[in-house]
Amino acid sequence: MGASPPRPPRLEDVVPGLAIPELAMVVTRERVAAYAEASGDRNPLHLDDAFARSVGFPGVIAHGMLTMGHLATCLTRFAGDPGALRRLRVQFRAPVLVGETIVAGGTVREVDPAERRIVLDVWVRLERDGRVEHPIRRGEAELRLP
Amino acid sequence: MGRSAGGGGVPLNPALEGKTYPPLRFLVDAERVRRFAAAIGADEGGVPPTFATAPEIEAGLARVVADPELGLDFARVVHGEQAYEWRRPLRVGETLEVRSTIESVRTKGGHGFLTIRTEMLDGDGVTVVVARSTLVERARD
Repeated sequence: MGASPPRPPRLEDVVPGLAIPELAMVVTRERVAAYAEASGDRNPLHLDDAFARSVGFPGVIAHGMLTMGHLATCLTRFAGDPGALRRLRVQFRAPVLVGETIVAGGTVREVDPAERRIVLDVWVRLERDGRVEHPIRRGEAELRLP
Repeated sequence: MGRSAGGGGVPLNPALEGKTYPPLRFLVDAERVRRFAAAIGADEGGVPPTFATAPEIEAGLARVVADPELGLDFARVVHGEQAYEWRRPLRVGETLEVRSTIESVRTKGGHGFLTIRTEMLDGDGVTVVVARSTLVERARD
């Protein structure tokens, strides 16, 4: 928050292999609770530690959709326009625990100058006990650039 | 913990493939958009694209997962995959018509896989967002 968003990229400067700027976010308990209210997903897995432990997690976990929302923000910031995102597809591969920091990023795979459309490989990673985990890996996104 | 409707380790009912639920309306409310944007850390203005999750859940998935004919044990459910296709950005103040269909019901290795397609249309009947959500009902230990 506070930092001005980067200038939108020029399509001419976007080439396959380009890594877009990564974006980090701390997943606090308060953020997960706020997301539960705003999204309407009040599954106790995200709100009630005792319940989360009863189904095998160490405590409440973030909504997969909160992690996906953060990834979408990383993409729309790069594009400089929340309306630029046309497609996003992900698999949820690992839980995100409260207190962890998630980092979203992506690499350009295809550029279609005629349609001003780019396709990216996208992911979200975090570090846990010195190991890198991927709550989202091998996701795919399509952006339409101005 | 599972509700009786889905308890007992009964597999998901494959006969529900293709079931479509009556459409519900959802208002893209300014205050709700503001709170959603704050929760995901989006500060660019406009409606964050994944705000589509709110109508998808409230006017779509909520009824599907609670459908007693389906037999889903929600206590064992995790989110497996999610996809969105946006035809245009959502607009504050518009009312969407939300239609959900059960696209597939599968069982593999004791796990149940449920894919639900949710389409959101604007006041002119034009499709704005198509969402596809795969929920996994984890096998009992």
